[in-house]
Amino acid sequence: MATMPEEFRLPGKKDLFIEADLMSPLDRIANVSILKQHEVDKLYKVENKPVLSSNEQLCFLVRPRIKNMRYIANLVNTDKLAGRTRKYKVIFSPQKFYACEMVLEEEGIYGDVSCDEWAFSLLPLDVDLLSMELPEFFRDYFLEGDQRWINTVAQALHLLSTLYGSFPNCYGIGRCAKMSHELWRKLEEEEDGETKGRRPEIGHVFLLDRDVDFVTALCSQVVYEGLVDDTFRIKCGSVDFGPEVTSSDRSLKVLLNAEDKVFNEIRNEHFSNVFGFLSQKARNLQAQYDRRRGMDIKQMKNFVSQELKGLKQEHRLLSLHIGACESIMKKKTKQDFQELIKTEHALLEGFNIRESTGYIEEHIDRQVSLIESLRLMCLLSITENGLIPKDYRSLKTQYLQSYGPEHLLTFSNLRRAGLLTEQAPGDTLTAVESKVSKLVTDKAAGRITDAFSSLAKRSNFRAISKKLNLIPRVDGEYDLKVPRDMAYVFSGAYVPLSCRIIEQVLERRSWQGLDEVVRLLNCSEFAFTDMTKEDKASSESLRLILVVFLGGCTFSELSALRFLGREKGYRFIFLTTAVTNSARLMEAMSEVKV
Amino acid sequence: MDCYTANWNPLGDSAFYRKYELYSMDWDLKEELRDCLVAAAPYGGPIALLRNPWQKEKAASVRPVLEIYSASGMPLASLLWKSGPVVSLGWSAEEELLCVQEDGAVLVYGLHGDFRRHFSMGNEVLQNRVLDARIFHTEFGSGVAILTGAHRFTLSANVGDLKLRRMPEVPGLQSAPSCWTTLCQERAAQILVAVGPDLYLLDHAACSAVTPPGLAPGVSSFLQMAVSFTYRHLALFTDTGHIWMGTASLKEKLCEFNCNIRAPPKQMVWCSRPRSKERAIVVAWERRLMVVGDAPESIQFVLDEDSYLVPELDGVRIFSRSSHEFLHEVPVASEEIFKIASMAPGALLLEAQKEYEKESQKADEYLREIQELGQLTQAVQQCIEAAGHEHWPDMQKSLLRAASFGKCFLDRFPPDSFVRMCQDLRVLNAVRDYHIGIPLTYSQYKQMTIQVLLDRLVLRRLYPLAIQICEYLRLPEVQGVSRILAHWACYKVQQKDVSDEDVARAINQKLGDTPGVSYSDIAARAYGCGRTELAIKLLEYEPRSGEQVPLLLKMKRSKLALSKAIESGDTDLVFTVLLHLKNELNRGDFFMTLRNQPMALSLYRQFCKHQELETLKDLYNQDDNHQELGSFHIRASYAAEERIEGRVAALQMAADAFYKAKNEFAAKATEDQMRLLRLQRRLEDELGGQFLDLSLHDTVTTLILGGHNKRAEQLARDFRIPDKRLWWLKLTALADLEDWEELEKFSKSKKSPIGYLPFVEICMKQHNKYEAKKYASRVGPEQKVKALLLVGDVAQAADVAIERRNEAELSLVLSHCTGAADGATADKIQRARAQAQKK
Repeated sequence: MATMPEEFRLPGKKDLFIEADLMSPLDRIANVSILKQHEVDKLYKVENKPVLSSNEQLCFLVRPRIKNMRYIANLVNTDKLAGRTRKYKVIFSPQKFYACEMVLEEEGIYGDVSCDEWAFSLLPLDVDLLSMELPEFFRDYFLEGDQRWINTVAQALHLLSTLYGSFPNCYGIGRCAKMSHELWRKLEEEEDGETKGRRPEIGHVFLLDRDVDFVTALCSQVVYEGLVDDTFRIKCGSVDFGPEVTSSDRSLKVLLNAEDKVFNEIRNEHFSNVFGFLSQKARNLQAQYDRRRGMDIKQMKNFVSQELKGLKQEHRLLSLHIGACESIMKKKTKQDFQELIKTEHALLEGFNIRESTGYIEEHIDRQVSLIESLRLMCLLSITENGLIPKDYRSLKTQYLQSYGPEHLLTFSNLRRAGLLTEQAPGDTLTAVESKVSKLVTDKAAGRITDAFSSLAKRSNFRAISKKLNLIPRVDGEYDLKVPRDMAYVFSGAYVPLSCRIIEQVLERRSWQGLDEVVRLLNCSEFAFTDMTKEDKASSESLRLILVVFLGGCTFSELSALRFLGREKGYRFIFLTTAVTNSARLMEAMSEVKV
Repeated sequence: MDCYTANWNPLGDSAFYRKYELYSMDWDLKEELRDCLVAAAPYGGPIALLRNPWQKEKAASVRPVLEIYSASGMPLASLLWKSGPVVSLGWSAEEELLCVQEDGAVLVYGLHGDFRRHFSMGNEVLQNRVLDARIFHTEFGSGVAILTGAHRFTLSANVGDLKLRRMPEVPGLQSAPSCWTTLCQERAAQILVAVGPDLYLLDHAACSAVTPPGLAPGVSSFLQMAVSFTYRHLALFTDTGHIWMGTASLKEKLCEFNCNIRAPPKQMVWCSRPRSKERAIVVAWERRLMVVGDAPESIQFVLDEDSYLVPELDGVRIFSRSSHEFLHEVPVASEEIFKIASMAPGALLLEAQKEYEKESQKADEYLREIQELGQLTQAVQQCIEAAGHEHWPDMQKSLLRAASFGKCFLDRFPPDSFVRMCQDLRVLNAVRDYHIGIPLTYSQYKQMTIQVLLDRLVLRRLYPLAIQICEYLRLPEVQGVSRILAHWACYKVQQKDVSDEDVARAINQKLGDTPGVSYSDIAARAYGCGRTELAIKLLEYEPRSGEQVPLLLKMKRSKLALSKAIESGDTDLVFTVLLHLKNELNRGDFFMTLRNQPMALSLYRQFCKHQELETLKDLYNQDDNHQELGSFHIRASYAAEERIEGRVAALQMAADAFYKAKNEFAAKATEDQMRLLRLQRRLEDELGGQFLDLSLHDTVTTLILGGHNKRAEQLARDFRIPDKRLWWLKLTALADLEDWEELEKFSKSKKSPIGYLPFVEICMKQHNKYEAKKYASRVGPEQKVKALLLVGDVAQAADVAIERRNEAELSLVLSHCTGAADGATADKIQRARAQAQKK
C-alpha cells in the first residue's frame, strides 16, 4: 500500500525538502539510507528559514497547500534574482490541487518547476490500524469547513474495497461520513463490474465523524498506549524515548506495535495494572535467566543459541517500558494527576460543577498548561451544553490574562467548532431544529439544519449519556484488572461515546431504536446493507469490522473497541485520518503567534 | 449435388472460382455507370455515384447530383453538387466520402450526405489543377494521393492527421502517365508510375527506376496496374496484351499471362484471399470479364451490362445496373465438401446426415466410414467452417445440421466453435439483408471485428439492429448497448425539429441509468449543435456531477457549474470553477455568488488568507461579517504590523468590528489589549527589559520578579486582576525569587483568598520545608491533613485526621505510612478506625 514513491526518482544528486508532517510517514517507508540510494544528498525541513542548499537539483515533498507554494516560490524567485538556475521538482502528497498550480502561476514560477504526486493514502501502523496520516484533516474540515480531504478518504475506502471486496454493510454518522460514503459509492459505481463479483472479506464498515464525540477525545488517557501518547507523543507508530526513559545519555526511537511482545500485552491495560504486570514479567524473565545455572554444556549451548537472544530482546523492551512507566508516574504526580482525573470524572458525571469550574479557574490562574487549561474548558462546555454566560466570560478573561490575547482567535475557533460555547437561553432553537429536520429530509433542508447547528451546536451530552448509559453505575470498587465494560479505559468512570455508538449499531445492525440518540447528537446517520453481498460473505468476514474515524481517533478508543471485540467475538480494523489525543485537538484549534 | 457446383470454374489444377449474386439491384439509376465517378467502399460498404459532367467537352449547365446507396442499392442520400469539378471519389476507412476537386480541395461527406469538413491538398494545385487522385487505405488510416497538372505527386498517408508530402519529380514525365498506383511497403506509402516502358517507384526521398523481373519483351507502355488488397502483390497490364503478376516489391514474379487483348482494360483488380491456393487477377473490359491466374487457361465471363469492380479482402464484388455479384476462390472447406465425388470426411458427413433424414441405413454406412478413419472431428469442423462460407441460409443450415449430427457421435467435442459459428451466421445474415445491405463474407467479418461492424450499423443509424446484435451476442453493456445508445442519443440531439424537452425526455427514457453512458458527452454534442438549453437538460441526467462541470463552464453557465462542482464534493473542481468565475464576473457579482455557496466561500477564503489578504477583508465587509473582520484585524495586529502604532490601530479596528458584531466581550478584551500594549511599551521605555507581547499575567510576574512591586500592584488594579489570580501570581513569583521574607509579609497582608495550602505546596516545590511548615499551621482544618502530609509530618496528620473522624483522610494518611518510624502512627489510625466502627 505504501512503497517508496517512484516520483523521487529524479536522476542525479538532489536535496530533499520535506514538510514536517510528512517526515514521519516517509521515514516509515524509506529510511535515510534508502534516500541516499536515490541520490538524496541533504534533507531539509520546509520551514521559514533561509535555504543554504547548494545543490543543483531541489526536490520538495509537500502537502498541497498555498503556504508551501509561497515558500517554494520565494526560494525559486530568490534564485532567479541571484541569476541562478536549478532544477526544481515539487511532489504533492497525496495529490496536487488546482489552487496550488494557480499560485505557482501567479508567482511566475509555474514553468520553472515540475510537479508530481505521491498518492500515498494508507499507512499500516499496526496489524489492525491503518492511518492516512492526515492530522490536518481535523482542522481543515471541522474548523475551516474545507472538504478537500473527503475525496481522499473516499479513494482510500475505494482502494480497500478493491483489495478486500466491497463491504456488505455500511453504517455512519456525521456529515463528513455521509459525504465520504456518497463519494465512495460513486467511485464504486464508476468502476467496471470486475470487483463486484469478489467475495467480501470485511463484513461491516462504520464511518464516524470526530465531532460526533469530542468528549472522549478530550479526556485524559489512562490506558498505557494512550498515556504514552499523551506523555511522549507517538508519531506514526513510533515514539522517541528520552534519556529519562532509556536511563542512558541518548534518546531512542521505538516502534510501538503488536510486534513488540511486551508492549502488545500492556498497551490496552489500565495504567494501574501495568507496573504490576511488568514486575511480574521481570521476575519471570529472571527465572528464565536463572535456569542456566543448573545446565550442562549442551543445554547451555542450546540456551545461548536459541533462547538467549529472545530473552535479551525481551529484557531490553521490558526495561524500556519500565522506564517509560516511571517517567510517566513522575510527571503525573507532579501535576497532581489524581486531582485532574477527579475533576474530569466529575465533569463527565455532571456533579459538583461549581467545584470543577473553580478547579479550572485555578488551573488557568496558575498557568499550569496552555493546552490543558483549554482542554478542561472545552470539556466543561461540552458536558454542560455550553458554559453559563458568567463563566464563559470570566474563564475566557482569565485565560487571556494568563496565556495572551491572541487566544481571542482561539476562542472564536473553538466556538465555531462547537467545542467552547455559551449556553443558549432556553431550548427553543433545538425544538425548531428538530421540527425542521422531521418535516423535510431533502438536501435543502439539510442545509437549513446545518445552518441551525452551526448557530448553536449543542452537544446534549448529559441526555445522550443517560440514554446510552455511558456512566456505569458503580457498586463498590471497579476492578480494573478484570474490566466489565469499555469504561475501564477511563478507570471505570465513562464508556467512550464513540465506541458505545458503534457497539449499539453493530448489535442492532441498524440505527433502529437509536432515533432519540441520533436526534440528540444532531448528526445525520445512515445505514446501507447490500443483501446480495451479505449473502456472499462468509460468517467469518461478517465478524470483521472496519471502523473509519474521520478527524482522528485516540488510543483509548482503540483499546475500548479491542476490548469490545474480545467480548463479542468481533475483529476490528481501524482506519483513521490520524491518531489524535486531546492535546493535538486543542493545538489544531489554537491560534499561534508566528 | 452436381447443380451446386454448376457455378464453379476451375482455374489451373487446384483452384475453383465461383460467382454468385448478392443482390438483384433495383436502384433507379438515372445515369449509366460509365458516365459517373464511382466509389464503393470495401467490406460491403456504400456506393457513391456522381455523374461527371466535367469530362464532356461542353460545360454542363445542370448541376450534377451526388448519390449514395447501400451495397444493396437502397438510397441513403442524394444531394445537388454545388461545388467545383470533382476529379475523384473515394471512401475512407471510417466510411466518409472524400471528394477530390480539381482545385485540390477535398470535401468530406458522411454516409448520409452530411457535409463534415474539407481540407486542401496544398497551394500548388490551385494553379496546376488536379489531374487524377486516388484514395487508399493503409494501417494508419485512409490516404489521398493526387497527380497535379505539373505531373507531380502529392500524398497524405492519413487524412485524419493531415500531413502533405510532395513526392520527388519523375524524370521525363511530360504528360500524364499511362497508369499509376499507390503502394504501401514497410509502413510507408509509395507511388508506382508507368512512363512509357519504364516504371518508377516514388517514396518521400527518391524516385527510382524499377524493372519487373521476367517481363516479356516488347513492352512499350503499361496500360493498367493493380495492387492487391493487402499491398502484397502487383499486376501490370502491358500494351502487348500480357499480364505480369508478381510481388509488390517487384522482386519476384508469380506468372505472366498473355490474354491477347491489347485494348486497355476498364478495370483490373486482384481477386485472392488469405492463404489463397491460386491468386488471380480480374480484368474487365466493356463486355468481357476475365479471371487470370498461373494457369494456361483463364476463366471468362460475358458482361451484359456496364459493371464496376470492387476489390475485397477475399474476392471481388461486381455490381451493375441490375445486379450485384461476388466472385471469389472457393474456400478450402467448401471445396473439400462439395467437389464432385469428394471423399473428404466433411462430404461424407453431409451425405450421412442427408441419408439419416431420409431414414436410410446408408447414414450408418457413411458414418462408420468416417469413424473408421478416425476423422469425425475433422468432418464436423469442416462442415462448420464450410457453413461460414455459404451465402445462402439454406445451405448454411444443412451444413450446420450435418455438423450437429456428427457431433452426437463425438464424446468430447468442444461446443464453442459450433455455437460461435451459429451466432456469427445469424449476425451476418441479418446485416446481409437487403434492407441493411452490408454483404460481408465470413472472413471479412472476422477481419473487421464485431465492434467495427457495430460502428458501421450506428453510422447507418440502424440502432435497433445494433442493439439486438449486442444483446444477442451478450456483449458487455459498456462496449455494446450503452455505446450504441449513446450514439443514438448524439444523433437524436441533432433533430432540430423536436423540442428540447421531448428530446431530453426521449433520451432519458431510452438510456435510463445504463452503465457506461455518459450524458455529458451527449450534452457536449447537443451544445456542439448549438442547443445549449438541451445540453443543460441532458446534463441534469448525468449522475456524476463532476462530469457536468467542464461543459457547463464551456457553455458559460458558471454559476450552475459551481453548484455542480460543490455537489461532486471535489474541492479541486470547485476551485477550478471559482477561479473561472472570478475572471468572468465583476467583483460584486462574484462575491454575491459566493455568498450563496458556503462551501465555495470557505474555500475561497482559505485561498485569500494566504494569497490575497485584502480580498479577504473585502469579503468579510461585503457579508457584514464583523466577527470575522475583527478576528482578521486581531491577526493583523501581531502578524502583519510591526510598529506599535500600527498594532494599536489594527486592534482599534478589531474592537470597532467586534462592537458592530455585538461581541462586547471580544471588544473589551481587545481594548484591554490596546491598553496593555501601550503600557508595555512604556514599561520597556522606563524600566528596560522585554515586556511587549507578554500576557497580562506574565507582565505582572515580570514586574514582581524585577522588584517593581508597586508597579505590579498598580497594573493589577488597573486591569482588575482578580484577587485569587494575584495571590497565585505573587506567591509563585516570590517563591521563585526565594524572597521568603517578602512572601511572609505578603501572606500576612490579609486573609489569603486561596487559602494557605498553596503556600505549603509552593514552598515544598522550592524544597524549603522550614518555610512550608510555617504556613502548614495556618492551613484551614479542611486541608490541614494534606498540608501536614506535604511537609512530611505524618504523626500530626494522623492526629488531625483522627480528630476529624474523616475516613478518607485516615486512609490518605495510612497510605503515607511507609517509613519504619510510621509503624506506631499506622497502629494508632487502625485503632481509631476500629473504635469508630464500634460506635
